[in-house]
Amino acid sequence: MSWVRRLARGMLVVAVRGRRERGGEWGEAVLAEFGETRGDLEAVRWAAGGVRTVWRERRRRVRALPLYDRIARHALTGALVAAGAGLLVNQFVLSVRMMPSGSMEPTLRVSDRFLVDKAGFRLTGLHRGDIVVLAGPGGSERVKRVIGLPGDHIECRAGHVWRDGVAVDEPYLPGNPAEDRTECAPTTVPPGHLFVLGDHRVVSTDSRQDGPAREDDVLARVLTPLRLAGAG
Amino acid sequence: MPRVPHSSPQTLRLFEALLADPPRWRYGYELSKETALASGTLYPILMRLSEQRLLETGWEPSDEPGRPPRHTYRLTADGIALAGQRVAAAASRQRPAPAARPRPAGGAA
Repeated sequence: MSWVRRLARGMLVVAVRGRRERGGEWGEAVLAEFGETRGDLEAVRWAAGGVRTVWRERRRRVRALPLYDRIARHALTGALVAAGAGLLVNQFVLSVRMMPSGSMEPTLRVSDRFLVDKAGFRLTGLHRGDIVVLAGPGGSERVKRVIGLPGDHIECRAGHVWRDGVAVDEPYLPGNPAEDRTECAPTTVPPGHLFVLGDHRVVSTDSRQDGPAREDDVLARVLTPLRLAGAG
Repeated sequence: MPRVPHSSPQTLRLFEALLADPPRWRYGYELSKETALASGTLYPILMRLSEQRLLETGWEPSDEPGRPPRHTYRLTADGIALAGQRVAAAASRQRPAPAARPRPAGGAA
């Protein structure tokens, strides 16, 4: 028997019987005729039709079940599919994070939860003013605001941040002159890097100390804080 | 117009094959060859006919050792009557008497 025939037969057996000793009447009927087929192509076509037959037989069996059982089966399948889809979305698309420090106050307070986008920013690119989650040393995560993109010239004059010779409007700062003061060394952001700062300048450790962050370290972009209306 | 059950071209081909010698038990592979229907088309039709008691099924023990018993089919009395009717109706549709079947203008073919 050629390996194609063996494979076709093996797949048909699995489809008909699964882990049971014997499959349904019609699946077994197709399987019993498999030996009659001549040639690889016919064997493969026979097996493919057999799989379709098994599928139809199964559907009939399910339809014959009492309504309550059918609903229960649908609910269980639905719950499993939803749980799987949820895990995939959480892993690769949307997720919730918690703010680990006070370096983004008042935009994000310590232990604030926020929604992050893990996929979209890779398509749309990052923009100045976006808040990003960066991979830190040892699996830690840092949350900072993007101030400069590759090629931007960042400097600090009189406690304010300037980008390419223009003062950056920063309405998200705490709004207290003592805390808003920003001092930094003039930097041109290299390719593949981002100049990032925390909104709470007196607390945050960021590109002022560490230099520009690597774009590859961006794990996610913050979409919105999840705060109950009126809370805090 | 509601569709007449058991009147698809595939089902008619199967009826013709089964009507050739109604009392004889037939095998699935043999019917598939004779009707040129793929197993995925043939068996669901057999399944449906058997469910509606138009087809009898049986297991024929194999005479060769090592071979599994084979599933066999033949039409029941009801099945023979219905199959004959459907095949005849299809034959009369294929050569319609022009005067007897006026086509309404704009009607679906």
